[in-house]
Amino acid sequence: MRRLFYLVREAWANMRTNRTTTIVAVLTTAFTLACVGIFLLLYVNLRNAAGSLQEDVKVMVYLEDRLPGKTMQELERKLRADRTVDGLVFISKEQALGEFRVQFPSESHLLEGLGENPLPASFVVTLASSFRSPDAMKGWVERVQTMEGVAKVDYNQEWLSLLAELIGYIELAAIGVGILLSAAAVTIIGNTIRLALLGRREEIEILRSIGATRTFIRIPYFLEGAVLGACGSALSLGILKFAFELFRQQIQLTGRFNGIEGMISFFPLSVCLALIMVGIGLGFAGSVMSLLRVGEGRA
Amino acid sequence: MDAIIQLIHVSKWHDRKAALSDVTLEIEKGEFVLLMGASGAGKSTLLRMLIGEEQPDEGQIFVHGRNVTKMRPTEIPYLRRKVGAVFQDFRLLPKKSVFDNVALPLIVQGASEKDIRRKVTEALRAVDVDHKKDQLPNSLSTGEQQRVCIARAIVNGPVVLLADEPTGNLDPERTREIMELFKLINARGTTVIVATHDPHVLNHMNRRVITLVQGVLLSERRIGQGVGV
Repeated sequence: MRRLFYLVREAWANMRTNRTTTIVAVLTTAFTLACVGIFLLLYVNLRNAAGSLQEDVKVMVYLEDRLPGKTMQELERKLRADRTVDGLVFISKEQALGEFRVQFPSESHLLEGLGENPLPASFVVTLASSFRSPDAMKGWVERVQTMEGVAKVDYNQEWLSLLAELIGYIELAAIGVGILLSAAAVTIIGNTIRLALLGRREEIEILRSIGATRTFIRIPYFLEGAVLGACGSALSLGILKFAFELFRQQIQLTGRFNGIEGMISFFPLSVCLALIMVGIGLGFAGSVMSLLRVGEGRA
Repeated sequence: MDAIIQLIHVSKWHDRKAALSDVTLEIEKGEFVLLMGASGAGKSTLLRMLIGEEQPDEGQIFVHGRNVTKMRPTEIPYLRRKVGAVFQDFRLLPKKSVFDNVALPLIVQGASEKDIRRKVTEALRAVDVDHKKDQLPNSLSTGEQQRVCIARAIVNGPVVLLADEPTGNLDPERTREIMELFKLINARGTTVIVATHDPHVLNHMNRRVITLVQGVLLSERRIGQGVGV
């Protein structure tokens, strides 16, 4: 118990002795992790948005005009039997016209000049969740396109692919920036620990001469690194949360991007805890780096 | 008697100069040995080798039955827990109280709170500085600081106590007191080896004297009445 108390007290004493470098290390770590956090937040929200949009994806199967009832029934039977299809709703020509009038009331006069209803009947198909990836959807659409009675199959493939591509880029950027800034955080914490080590070289010599093991000597520095990392990551989460709330407030105040504030969210608790663990890991890595460099390890 | 320390044809070079040259000697359990020699004679090198701080270039060293030259680095700390060391510059932690300084070897070993309190109090009493246990080392006189250093070296009951120029910073009166203290520790069964260049120390001792000159074991003699107490 006294040994544990001693080790914790030594780590605390290290931080207090090098107060300025400790504060600078925490602030710099917080800033670098916050930069990584911004990308992560963007990535997580876009992924969530893409996920919920994909949930909502409907494929429109437009039917040929004046399709015999038998062919239409056969097509409906085939679609319902398809395991890729989760749900199916038939929209008649009349229903399509009614919906058009509701959605575009100012443009409805355009259709009146044509005399006959030009809108085709269609099936609105909801695909099963396991078949909603862009590739799976593309394959299904190509297959249905060849079925008898189908005039055209339409879905928002282009922008879904674009969103997937964008998410991919953000993911790459998050990884790249994350690696780069994490290395910076490790170096900063490592240098702080190094200063502490150099300042306490004599004390380390004394500990070695009275039979302290390497682990015993190292633990306070590992603890210090871990605490610096944890404080830095906790502070970065605070900064991110503050910036996030400010952003949300701005959206509400300006009224632009209405509805988006309901879609965006901050990291869940589990991710916050994971980020703090990452901070602890980075701090620990910084300690290991400096202990190896300064070479306290001689027995 | 059993040999607690054995050096067999030990040689060590520092920058191509022999710090120790083919030294062979045995120190028996419970002995009090004075290691005499001028500065640079190899006394400190020899003591450092006994606690694994340096390894010989040739020869073998046995301490308490273990071959120090073949120890793994992870085993060295455990050797040092059996061999107490006293230094000329005391090597006390200035920001820790006398009590905490003396308690350090026990904390390192993971001793219980109760054991620490008891053993530290006993050690401080043995060197007669128990009334200063809450003070910081820098507020003590040099003689008292050396006593605290000795208390730290004996607190976990080492089998051997090494002292490297322990009286180098002390006046003759304090020197006499410290040497008397070593005699007392030796009388309780601990093997004591004191390295010194100060011939006045001999005035207080009736013990075995080993003289080193430029790394060579020049002479071994016993002064006064026999060995041990």
